[in-house]
Amino acid sequence: MLLEQLINGITLGSIYAIVALGFTLVFGVLGIINMAHGEIFMVGAFVGVMTTGVLGWPLWLAFAASIVVTSILGYLLERMTLRPLRGKKGVSHLAPLISTIGVSILLENLSHHIFGAGNKPFRTEFAEISIEIGQVTVYIVQIVIFAISIILMIGLSIWLSKTKAGKALRATAENLETASILGVDTKKIITLTVIIASAMGGIAGILVGMAFNSVSPQMGLAIGLKGLAIIILGGMGNVKGAMVGGLLLGLSETFLVAYGDSGYRDAIAFIMIILILLLRPQGIFGSKMAEGR
Amino acid sequence: MLDFINPYYLQIGSFILINILLAVSVYVPLSSGQLSLGSAGFMGIGAYTSALLTINFDLPIFLGVLAGACLAGILGIIVGLPSLRLTGVYLAIATLGLGEVIRVIFVNWESLTRGSIGLTGVPQIGRELLNLVRGFGFEPSMIGLKNNQFVFLLVFILLFLIVLATIWFVVRQQNSRVGRSFSSIQMDEKAAESMGINIMYFKVLSFAQGAFLAGLAGALFAHVMGYISPSDFSYHRAVEILIFTVFGGSEVIIGSVFGAIFLTLMPELLRFVSEYRYIIYGIMLVILMAVRPQGILDIHLLGRFKGIKRSKGGMR
Repeated sequence: MLLEQLINGITLGSIYAIVALGFTLVFGVLGIINMAHGEIFMVGAFVGVMTTGVLGWPLWLAFAASIVVTSILGYLLERMTLRPLRGKKGVSHLAPLISTIGVSILLENLSHHIFGAGNKPFRTEFAEISIEIGQVTVYIVQIVIFAISIILMIGLSIWLSKTKAGKALRATAENLETASILGVDTKKIITLTVIIASAMGGIAGILVGMAFNSVSPQMGLAIGLKGLAIIILGGMGNVKGAMVGGLLLGLSETFLVAYGDSGYRDAIAFIMIILILLLRPQGIFGSKMAEGR
Repeated sequence: MLDFINPYYLQIGSFILINILLAVSVYVPLSSGQLSLGSAGFMGIGAYTSALLTINFDLPIFLGVLAGACLAGILGIIVGLPSLRLTGVYLAIATLGLGEVIRVIFVNWESLTRGSIGLTGVPQIGRELLNLVRGFGFEPSMIGLKNNQFVFLLVFILLFLIVLATIWFVVRQQNSRVGRSFSSIQMDEKAAESMGINIMYFKVLSFAQGAFLAGLAGALFAHVMGYISPSDFSYHRAVEILIFTVFGGSEVIIGSVFGAIFLTLMPELLRFVSEYRYIIYGIMLVILMAVRPQGILDIHLLGRFKGIKRSKGGMR
């Protein structure tokens, strides 16, 4: 029982971590909170439902389709809503927040319109297959989710620390002007960041669809808010923090549902961040309090 | 006779007035540089407090509303104090989280709040007012109005007076020592502190004022609607309120008023494309931020208005 809950928690947590990574990348580089990230994630999940359910594509192709669609959305988001605000005089930190909220309203209602309000089931061929190890039941889906999350996280870490583009991204996150003086094409890097973040959202969308077997236009909001909570928990713009924060939240939610009052499940994330903000405002892994933007 | 006093229009008018109160409740903390997304939560506190007091203890609505607003204000002080450490987006997310926690408590504390079903049978302000004037021996038919017309009209007038008083207070405060302290804190907190301004006091003051106003608006909302549920105070509401202020122009109070009026009316006006109205709404926000990120109204625009009609002393 305990071990099963642990596995459930880790599965949920690794999905949360991927969602949070999308937030953290954009915040790290641009210093803004992308309120549309949850909705991009939801669109990714719907692409998964449509391609596997209606078109009957295999899962890997669904992933590819979802990545393509969410990447395009990410590009449009950067091009239409974020870039016009950048470097403009007299733009408060509120403007990108509102602008991305606008995109989230748009996407939520658009998918409501296209896909309908209800929950859509997400069918995968191995959804019900499980293996028994001793007394513990593990679903194949959980292993797949966990493996994909780990691969994504390790890949992203290596990409950020070792490759040239990753280094350019970190330089841009450190200081946009200095990076551009040093020859980094910051415009390209920013676009790349938003695209990667969105694509990760798309992948997370499919993973959530697989884990909960249901997708709805409202799911973007719920998961998006939790993603926000996680990046506060782990430290804004901190990749390691997003992963640990995600796992922490996934585990504590699962254990609350298993051993406590499931009604308060959605409040946990926020109770945690209110506590962490009071005790350690920079987050678990944050080095210092960033300037309020 | 007097058919133009249409309950539907008056109802929308009342919602506009409540939304103006809410928009001002975001504007006041923002004028001292604090972005609070907790208004929906504070609004919920005000609404539930007043509704529960009037339902369970037969308290007069007036006292219930006052209690709701005060409780929200007190919570604002309690939350405002530790939140002093937070700035910018951190504060925004923390307050957003607070609002969500409050909502989840409303959903789960079923013995008191009846959970997600919500509270029905909240005493309505209009009926109470009607009974009051009837007590003076006055009947709506004496001025040629139907009962429901008269009720909606009374509610509208009452809310209008409350909003007017609130705006008057905020404008007066803005031109006082307190208001100047707020704006100096917004400009540069460290400089303000070195000038001898008590940052802690003024920041908590503006935060608590915002909470009080949101609580007031929530309590009035409960007694105008007669029915409240936790979903009335969700994330969507918090965002809606924030957008009122930012859309209209967050630098000037008239911006909040304008934003609340325009954005409450717009979905009604867009009813003919009702299926697409939120899509249009979203697109509009994106375009507005790209074209005019400071909101529709700002000091320069108002200054130009003032230049045209110099005789009228405009509001700042």
